[in-house]
Amino acid sequence: MANGRRVIIGAPPQEAKAYLELVAEHGSPLLVFDREILERQYQLLSDTLPDVELYYAVKAHPNEHIVRALDELGCGFDVASAGEMDMLMDLKISGRRTIHTHPIKKDREIRDALRFGATTFVVDNLDELEKLVPYRDRVGILLRVSFSSEDAAVDLSRKFGCDVRDAAGIVMVAGKLGLHIKGLSFHVGSQCENSAKHVEAIEQCHQLMEEISKSVPVPMSTLDIGGGFPADYQLAGIDISSFCAPIRKALGRLPRDWHLLAEPGRFLVAPSVTSITTVTGRSERHGTCWYYLDDGVYGSYSGQIFDHAIYPLQVLKDGTTRPSILAGPTCDSIDVIAEDIQLPELEIGDLVIGHQMGAYTAATKTRFNLLPDARFVCRYDNS
Amino acid sequence: MKHFKETLYDAVCQEFRIDKLYFENRTKHQHLMIFHNARLGRVMTLDGIVQTTEADEFIYHEMLAHVPLFSHGRAQRVLIIGGGDGAMLREVLRHPVEQVTLVEIDKAVIDIAKKHLPDHSAGAFEDARTNLTIADGLEYVSDTDEKFDVIICDSTDPIGPGEVLFSEEFYTQAKRCLAPGGILVTQNGVPFFQLDELKVTARRMAPHFVDATFYCAPVPTYYGGFMAFSWGTDDTRLRQTDMATLHGRYDEAGIKTRYYNPEIHRASFALPQYILDALSGTS
Repeated sequence: MANGRRVIIGAPPQEAKAYLELVAEHGSPLLVFDREILERQYQLLSDTLPDVELYYAVKAHPNEHIVRALDELGCGFDVASAGEMDMLMDLKISGRRTIHTHPIKKDREIRDALRFGATTFVVDNLDELEKLVPYRDRVGILLRVSFSSEDAAVDLSRKFGCDVRDAAGIVMVAGKLGLHIKGLSFHVGSQCENSAKHVEAIEQCHQLMEEISKSVPVPMSTLDIGGGFPADYQLAGIDISSFCAPIRKALGRLPRDWHLLAEPGRFLVAPSVTSITTVTGRSERHGTCWYYLDDGVYGSYSGQIFDHAIYPLQVLKDGTTRPSILAGPTCDSIDVIAEDIQLPELEIGDLVIGHQMGAYTAATKTRFNLLPDARFVCRYDNS
Repeated sequence: MKHFKETLYDAVCQEFRIDKLYFENRTKHQHLMIFHNARLGRVMTLDGIVQTTEADEFIYHEMLAHVPLFSHGRAQRVLIIGGGDGAMLREVLRHPVEQVTLVEIDKAVIDIAKKHLPDHSAGAFEDARTNLTIADGLEYVSDTDEKFDVIICDSTDPIGPGEVLFSEEFYTQAKRCLAPGGILVTQNGVPFFQLDELKVTARRMAPHFVDATFYCAPVPTYYGGFMAFSWGTDDTRLRQTDMATLHGRYDEAGIKTRYYNPEIHRASFALPQYILDALSGTS
């Protein structure tokens, strides 16, 4: 391990052969989607949170194969833009199965969402509330409240969410405007180490909703617990059932008729996609071996910049290791995937595998240098 | 897709079983679906909202066509805005009119409805009196020099391509296109669930017509009780057309109807108190 990154040296012959065959068939770089892993992740999460309706955060990886697989499993969809809704409509997914969760919206976005059929919207301030007044006969609103998370890799409480102390006031104003706030939503952040923040947020929301419901004519009954379910970037074998057990327990204390929602993205898709890149060049610089790959931080590895993720890497070769650097294909010096990692000597044409690369990877790739995108291929494709 | 769930409201929705899907795709302007339901026959939806079903379309189309036409009594030139399924055209053509102009923004609705909802138009597009124009309804009424005795706005809801047909500019221009004694009628939603839409239309129409009001009919698949139709004319006598006159016109026309009759015609202008309260600003 270097800089908290898990590095696997070598691969069992069958596994190595599979990677090589994929590249022989489809070229390089690749993002290889394994539908069975996605199905397993969905099943694990629904089993451990049986009373929670899951809405896949489409932004994590807006890919039609992923969305279609989740659609077939009966998963709902959390959308945040007209583009994401367009994609779902192309895949014949009804807006009735989606929630629109972006707290800040243009009027046009609200209208597009209503035409698509999404009627649940999220707000976190009075301006946003007022934008929904013309549509008050149609919409249901979730008020996003903010709880900060020191554990989370990405703290989402800074940009969005109202202070819990302001929640009651906003609900009152909504009532006066003829708008119904049907519940609360929160995001404790992404990639949480444990679920303590979720539990605390659930308990606070419970109290808040009970309290507010006393003084408004229409009770609040929906709680959206957001995301934050972790991906296994250390390949340490995260037990999602243990992670969720306290959440399940906390949710069990809520009134039985409340509607519970979650917006998992990372947990579902991260392990279901694997990156394959190829060494296209190398050079010896100051005693370190530089390997230039055909994918990098402007492409599939963009999550290392935007998402602060450190993906587990694997080389297929075994042998004596030495200090190495893996760099991406663009001309920019920031395009380095891993520095100071110990790797066996690689040759041009050797493969470098990136694991847990399904979430916020291709989603944030850029067009820099106009390099071709990694090709998305489906493993064990039966369709 | 085995079921259709309407996406109009967050808290409630009507659900239809899809027994056979005939069409489901995006046109240039909107999302269009036509399917068969065992109870309702063929159902057409636009942007996830029920537009018409074979089982109950007669209520909507008879009321939006015959109420203004029998009130007017001698309409020769009629303008329909929207109504791409052709059923409004069909109903209007049952009257001895000279010409009916149908202005539809989305040609695909006409083509696909002709194919998958043929009983709605029942050949009306082929009638020699039909003048079909593919255009934006607001642009049409703003540009045309023609005058009409009756204008029927058979639009979608106010979010989407039908949006401009609820604008004050539309009422201004439509008024300009009416011949003296002409009548504008529009579909105006289900006030029980869409009270704002009723209030907004009332506010926008009032300045342009001496007699601006609504009349109602319950269309089962426009879930929520009465649907409101707006009524705008400068001839206040038209709404008061007496029963004998209506009966005379109805009998003379020899039109067999299933919802409309002269008694219903008169009664449809009686508005429930919740609608009156909304219109007077007391709710």
